[in-house]
Amino acid sequence: MQPRIEQVAGVDLEILRAGAGNPLLLLHGFQHIDPRLAIVDLLAREAQLIAPSHPGFGRSSRPADFGTVYDLVHLYLGLIDTLPPGPLTLMGLSFGGWLAAEIAIKAGRRIDKLILVDALGIKVSGRETPDILDVFNAHPEDVVAKSWHDPKEFAPRYDDMEDDELVTRSRNWEALARYGFHPYMHNPQLKRWLSNIKAKTLVLWGASDGVVKPAYGEAYARLIPGARFERIANAGHHPEIEQPEALAARVRNFLAD
Amino acid sequence: MDVWYQCEIPYPFVAQDVLDRAPSVRASLPNRYCDPNVAADLFEECIDEFLLADELGLNVVAIEHHAGINSLLAANPMLVAILARQTRKARILSLGTLVTLRPDPVRIAEEYATADVISRGRLEIGFVKSGGSESASSNVSMIDNGERYWEAIDLISKALTSHDAPFSWEGRHFTHRHVNVWPPCYQRPLPRMWSATGDASTSADVGRRGMVHTLVLRGPEGTRAAFAANRRARAEAGLPPSTTDRFSYAALVAVGETEDEGLRLGDKLLWFLNTSMKSAPQFNKFLAGVAPPQAAPMIYRTKPKADTNAEAQQAASAMKPSVGGALIGMTAERAIAQGILFAGTPDSVYKQIMDLYDFVGGYGHLVMIGRSGFMTHAETEKSLGLFAREVLPRLKEIAAVQAGLDQRWSRGPVRK
Repeated sequence: MQPRIEQVAGVDLEILRAGAGNPLLLLHGFQHIDPRLAIVDLLAREAQLIAPSHPGFGRSSRPADFGTVYDLVHLYLGLIDTLPPGPLTLMGLSFGGWLAAEIAIKAGRRIDKLILVDALGIKVSGRETPDILDVFNAHPEDVVAKSWHDPKEFAPRYDDMEDDELVTRSRNWEALARYGFHPYMHNPQLKRWLSNIKAKTLVLWGASDGVVKPAYGEAYARLIPGARFERIANAGHHPEIEQPEALAARVRNFLAD
Repeated sequence: MDVWYQCEIPYPFVAQDVLDRAPSVRASLPNRYCDPNVAADLFEECIDEFLLADELGLNVVAIEHHAGINSLLAANPMLVAILARQTRKARILSLGTLVTLRPDPVRIAEEYATADVISRGRLEIGFVKSGGSESASSNVSMIDNGERYWEAIDLISKALTSHDAPFSWEGRHFTHRHVNVWPPCYQRPLPRMWSATGDASTSADVGRRGMVHTLVLRGPEGTRAAFAANRRARAEAGLPPSTTDRFSYAALVAVGETEDEGLRLGDKLLWFLNTSMKSAPQFNKFLAGVAPPQAAPMIYRTKPKADTNAEAQQAASAMKPSVGGALIGMTAERAIAQGILFAGTPDSVYKQIMDLYDFVGGYGHLVMIGRSGFMTHAETEKSLGLFAREVLPRLKEIAAVQAGLDQRWSRGPVRK
């Protein structure tokens, strides 16, 4: 299962496609979806998985005049337009959860089911309390400690990675900063529109997430009509890596619901 | 050659064990470690040293750094304003307000125009690309920093040269609907502009624009490469070759009556490198938008692999040496060998300056960082006085000539 480069709205987009059935558009978080991850196979058993790398991430190009969440949202609305009519699930991880929420508002009834996993995108606490750990401004060791339930097992080990993996990681990091630096990883206007989401929504959260805490996820869920909130045990900010089976099981149940 | 006196007004009075424990001595070191009474004394002494430099025939430089022990000058225009009023003859170089980190270049143009008027036309305007921990202090990402740099400079230039304003600006990074700077600049068309940069592509831009190109503590190899990129870009654009007064070099400078005294002071200046540069990884090697992604194999690992690909090695070698702390742990002898420090007797300081001059293809401005770390007011004044009496007259005799390595030129009297 190797991702391919496809043309979408003038962008050479790296898209990983796997499985069959109704489409599930998966929007990644801080890192693009590595095809070797167990979650890819697991989700491909449940749906026709479509996992693009955002422009600037992975091997996706980024046109010079493309650089905001606004651009990403419109790109993916364009990608959704290419899918045949029928049930569509939109799933977003972390930063991709922010995108998924924005898209679900704009796409209205076109999205049947929405799954947000440790999603960013809104401001919940007061002006002197950051909701989301500033991964650009915090010490990398602190970011690791807060990102993982079991950092020893799961935190990336740069010393063991190949040169090209590190280059991609650095590219992803730069792209993330481009889209999410200011205001930091949220859109101040998003909260007021979440009540317009028509899709049936499941909000999943790593119980040990220290980047953005479960209480934030609960607040997020309360703002989306009828949304259900569930925690995933023994997972931090990346349940798709730390608990892929548990995450896939929640997705399976939700899709069957 | 002109000489410009610079002091970053560092604040060295934080206990060493606090500095050792802190992951960074910039941006994140709590400001409770800075005593405003001590800071007031430092400002008093250092501003007096700037005024002494003016009396002794040097020009002066005001820099800007944020939230760290390396400098108390968080707001460049404040020192520029004091120097504009209190110096009498010196030209005043702002090097500079951090243009890529300030949201409104028009405000910067207003500050500069006012300082130019107050000084009756003695202002020179320098631009630095900034980065590192200042990104955090200024709440700005380094993404597209280079684009913002040139757009800000273009907008400031237009604001300072428009004498029949208002005009409007709707650029990619800055918008301003009504630009109309009062008072306008004293100098016409506008004060001379400088740019501090070491990377090849920005150096080429600086060359094509004919700004004064300054390198700060970059050493012979890096400076030579940057100046060469500048000259090459001019040649390729069909522009006339630059003279040496378009090139500048900034180094730590300490002069003593004996070699030992000069070296001892030089050692004190190295506090700037050895203590004040300590910066956490999120402010340098992992700062998004600073290193090209191709450099990641050289900087992400705890130690680069011996067989890291050539592209990564090349990308990493183009980075500032301060990224990753390559300058930390410097001795005076090594710093002199690397062209970062000029120290010793007047004769040896002169020779060190001119050796670098020869190696890089000539420069018409020496920016001397004359006080740092625990150097005292008395030591600074003595070193500065010796420099002004014994070294400056020899440098003043070196006239501007065409810069470059491939031509013979005369730079005046033969060195001793």
